[in-house]
Amino acid sequence: MKIAVFLPELLRHLFKKPATVDYPFKKLEVPKDFRGTPYLNPEMCIACRACERDCPAEAIEISSVNEAEKRFRMVIHNDRCIHCAQCVDSCPTTPKAMQMDSLFEIACDDRHKLKTDWVYVRAVLKPKAAAPAAAPQAAEPKT
Amino acid sequence: MAVVRTLLYLVVYPGLLFLFLYSTFCEWFDRKVYARFQNRMGPTHTGRFGLLQPIADFVKLLSKEDVVPEAADKRLFAVLPIIGLAVVSTAGLLLPVWNFDLANPGWTSFSGDIIVMLYLLSLPTLILFLAAWSSTNLFSTIGGARVLTMLFGYEVPLFLAVLSPAILANSWRLAEIAAFYQRKPLLLLPNLLAFIIALIAVQAKLERTPFDIPHAETEIVGGTFTEYSGKKLALFRLTFDIELVVSSGLLAAVFLGGFPGGAVVGFIHFVVKTLFVIFLLCLLRALTSRIRVDQVISFAWKYLAPLAVLQLLAIILLKGFLP
Amino acid sequence: MSFQIPIGPQHPALKEPISLRMTVEGEVITGVDIRLGYNHRGLEKLAEDRNWTQNIYLVERICGICSHSHATCYVQGVEKLMELAPPKRGLYIRYLVSELERIHSHLLWLGVAGHEAGFDSFFMYVWRDREVVMDLLELITGNRVHYAINTLGGVRRDLDAGQIAKIRDGLVVLRKRSEYYFHIGANEPSFVARIAGVGYLSKEKAVALCAVGPTARASGWARDVRKEDPYAVYDEVDFDVATADSCDVLGRVVVRVKELLESYKICEQILDKLPPGDIAVKAPRKAKPGEVVSRYEAPRGENIHYIKSNGTDKPERLKVRAPTLGNYPATVEMLRKGFIADIPLIFAAIDPCICCAERSVTLIDAGSGEESVARMSDLRRRAIVRHENAPLKRNAVWPL
Ligand code: SF4
Ligand code: SF4
Repeated sequence: MKIAVFLPELLRHLFKKPATVDYPFKKLEVPKDFRGTPYLNPEMCIACRACERDCPAEAIEISSVNEAEKRFRMVIHNDRCIHCAQCVDSCPTTPKAMQMDSLFEIACDDRHKLKTDWVYVRAVLKPKAAAPAAAPQAAEPKT
Repeated sequence: MAVVRTLLYLVVYPGLLFLFLYSTFCEWFDRKVYARFQNRMGPTHTGRFGLLQPIADFVKLLSKEDVVPEAADKRLFAVLPIIGLAVVSTAGLLLPVWNFDLANPGWTSFSGDIIVMLYLLSLPTLILFLAAWSSTNLFSTIGGARVLTMLFGYEVPLFLAVLSPAILANSWRLAEIAAFYQRKPLLLLPNLLAFIIALIAVQAKLERTPFDIPHAETEIVGGTFTEYSGKKLALFRLTFDIELVVSSGLLAAVFLGGFPGGAVVGFIHFVVKTLFVIFLLCLLRALTSRIRVDQVISFAWKYLAPLAVLQLLAIILLKGFLP
Repeated sequence: MSFQIPIGPQHPALKEPISLRMTVEGEVITGVDIRLGYNHRGLEKLAEDRNWTQNIYLVERICGICSHSHATCYVQGVEKLMELAPPKRGLYIRYLVSELERIHSHLLWLGVAGHEAGFDSFFMYVWRDREVVMDLLELITGNRVHYAINTLGGVRRDLDAGQIAKIRDGLVVLRKRSEYYFHIGANEPSFVARIAGVGYLSKEKAVALCAVGPTARASGWARDVRKEDPYAVYDEVDFDVATADSCDVLGRVVVRVKELLESYKICEQILDKLPPGDIAVKAPRKAKPGEVVSRYEAPRGENIHYIKSNGTDKPERLKVRAPTLGNYPATVEMLRKGFIADIPLIFAAIDPCICCAERSVTLIDAGSGEESVARMSDLRRRAIVRHENAPLKRNAVWPL
């Protein structure tokens, strides 16, 4: 048994740069497929509600605004979202109407500010149609 | 005029204000070096290089709510931190940095001041014990018991270790001891063992790892300080910081040849040497893990005390051979 | 003088709420009483209200450290119910994440053990190096803590060549560091002196009290679901069950470090053998009626999920037996006759995950180590009886 086995390691690091990242001033890169915050691509959404049904946190809320116009409203409650990306997996369209970005600094002092909603007309995707042309006029996302 | 001088001496330099500032600097140094040993950043953002962090912590504590437990002895509970601070600051006045005139002993430098200093440095421990006991908390009580138990372990080796250079120098006055070793720096070498023993004992006195047993937070929460909060806790922490400065000053005066060269050069010596001692204490802290209180006692009596006695004997023998 | 000290429910040594009442004489513990139930979240009931897919993410959140263990244990069970056979590549990736999780959990524990023993430098270094495996997990799964890589019938993400190369590099670094910590742990005198002989649990006692995981293995009982009942890929990889005979905290440290080295071995084999192909099959929404018990060797020991289906898209019952619960009786045994200073070490040495264990109100008889699960009505009755028998003490003081 030796005394002070840790000594070389300690002294070696004395004049080295600390391993800590000086966080709010310097940021680490997140990996490519990082699961950040879900967002909707309203041109693609067929309002099938698969995402709503599978969301474990019940963070997605889809309601019909106007039956005749087939206008829908989707709210993503980011305050409830657990960032599991199951909604993306469940979404049946290609390319996916539901997607994840890689933002992680979404903390906020009021949970109501974390809601994002979109009002849009349901996309009708014909099997062979090229996607954007087939999509009807889409509403702008409003926060 | 003399009154003003004395007041300045007590309040500004080297009294409270200076000790406060220098001890916060030492705390910063200690924290920074400790952090660097662990590959961390340490205080960074408050002031340049985080220099103001200890002061910020102090101010923050001052502004916090101050709770006194129902069952505690209120007056004792409140007055103990102040006494503790007073005691260590008084000990600080005895350091031979500000009073180096050999021919002219004053009231802060006299024959026997090394003994007075050692006793003044023991008092905070007793005050801690009283503080723990008077707060009636279970964890504090255990902490207090541990404080006292440890005291019996490290106090004797510390005294023996500090006294051996004094014996060699044939003086009980810090300034004279320092002057002796300035004349004969080679004689510092025989005291190396005593220096190591004293370092370990001071580490125990300051309750730093591996001897942070009285306030081991994973075992007994805050230990002695469990019930202390706000201003009182701030004062206790300041007490410890000043005790760190004063004990490292003592070690520097006795084992590292003191602070020669008058007011300015002596002061630089003081800063460099205390920081060196603090660096060693910090290394010890980073290097070890906490031990149990019974292990402290057996370690102190099995190794430290016999070694200290051995050192003393060696010094006495050496003294016989010296002219 | 004999008095009781309460450790918890709020205590710096415990990161989660649990209450240990120690009767101590001086510094020596003479009696122990564990009280649970501070962190009951009603998760099992909640699970009955979620469909099979949603529940993956729910059980994943039983615990933050062994999230993948719970999710995998659950998914294994549901796949058995649904009679799904996940493709080989999917399984390999799933258990690769399992092993990486074990590595991260053991490194975390090693650091915590250092901290509990007051060895903060060790703690800082171990946690710094743990970041390597955390980054790998984030790279593979997209998140540091809740990997969410499992899905019914396989995994959700594939590995590409770049990721595999990065994992291999990370494993090299980790192996080197672990060997170094093994060296430190075995050679730093104040650390070894602090943990050797602490928290003794003989093999007989370990068997009698049904200890699990590294706690059991450190008492010389080679018990590991991966070996005894090899699930999925574990009969295709070669590894040893790490054990130690010293029956104390030192043994538990040794077992965990050895397991780390075994895990690196397993990871490398998995990467070598990674077959091509699909990573998942499509799962039905409903499971056939039936029940299943799923076993999984989590970092802390054997994790058991019992799942009952009634033919709908939701489970009828989900019961989780987390490893920590199995270790409580043994902890009581270990704590007795120890020092106050050893409480955090001993308790931390079972690597307790309290939120995992808080499934039901469990009363443990400190005398015999017997467990009894009480129902609410029963508890209420007991409370009333106690209230009648013990009038309120007005001027209650600390029993000092
Ligand atoms: S990421 Fe998960 S929790 Fe968030 S909205 Fe999608 S499914 Fe719901
Ligand atoms: S986002 Fe996808 S899953 Fe959700 S309603 Fe739209 S198309 Fe369906």
